Amino acid sequence: MTNLEAAMADPGGDNDDFDMVLDPKVQESIGRSLKAHYDDIVNAPVPDKFLVLLAQLEATEQRAAGASPDDLK
Amino acid sequence: MISNDFKDGLIREIPNLRAFAASLSGSIQLADDLVQDTLLKAWGNSEKFEPGTSLRAWLFTILRNTYYSLYRKRGREVQDSEGTYAERMATQGNQESHLDLADFRKALAKLPEEQREVLIMVGATGLSYEEAADICGVAIGTIKSRVNRARTKLAELLSIGSVDDLSPDRTSTAAIQRARSETVGF
Repeated sequence: MTNLEAAMADPGGDNDDFDMVLDPKVQESIGRSLKAHYDDIVNAPVPDKFLVLLAQLEATEQRAAGASPDDLK
Repeated sequence: MISNDFKDGLIREIPNLRAFAASLSGSIQLADDLVQDTLLKAWGNSEKFEPGTSLRAWLFTILRNTYYSLYRKRGREVQDSEGTYAERMATQGNQESHLDLADFRKALAKLPEEQREVLIMVGATGLSYEEAADICGVAIGTIKSRVNRARTKLAELLSIGSVDDLSPDRTSTAAIQRARSETVGF
């Protein structure tokens, strides 16, 4: 049991943060919804612009690394 | 010179960055701007990343700092004018879970930012309490209490204070919950 679970399982605590004890099934339900919300976006197609951006950054860097002082006018 | 490992790592983390950014800002458009800024900053500061540590935690730190310094105000403006992404974002899955998800997102958007961000980090991204504490610059105990308050508030907003309230009847459940806890004494 983690500290958090222990704290949440203790209904008599005098800590204001823990005054409402959530049923484990309610916690589970919230956990599932959280994952559903997050994973829905994680699994969405990634716009091409991010890969384009990284490719541009890489190309710029390679040009800079490959250019000798004579090449820079 | 930036290593291929670093670049591949950035590419791998883009979906998580988008999901975290959307959770923070409440807008998928803002989220994509935020991810773009984060990638640029990460690229420009790649030498500050320590190999062997969590790239996700490092990128989340950049994204979060960028959000709080530049995007927070814009986020509120976009939400005011267009509503949150909860109402607009297309989601996959069947109709029933779509509705549940939309309700959940509306409730999530109502949480204070400091609670929402830690709930997402700890509850959905796979980051540890310790990593979340590092990212936010607060103690682990603070993270734990924010997560707990966030869950309690969500249960309240979704009217699922007890298992019986997981049914669709959302009216007066808060009152029932209050009465029940007084009667039963928990």
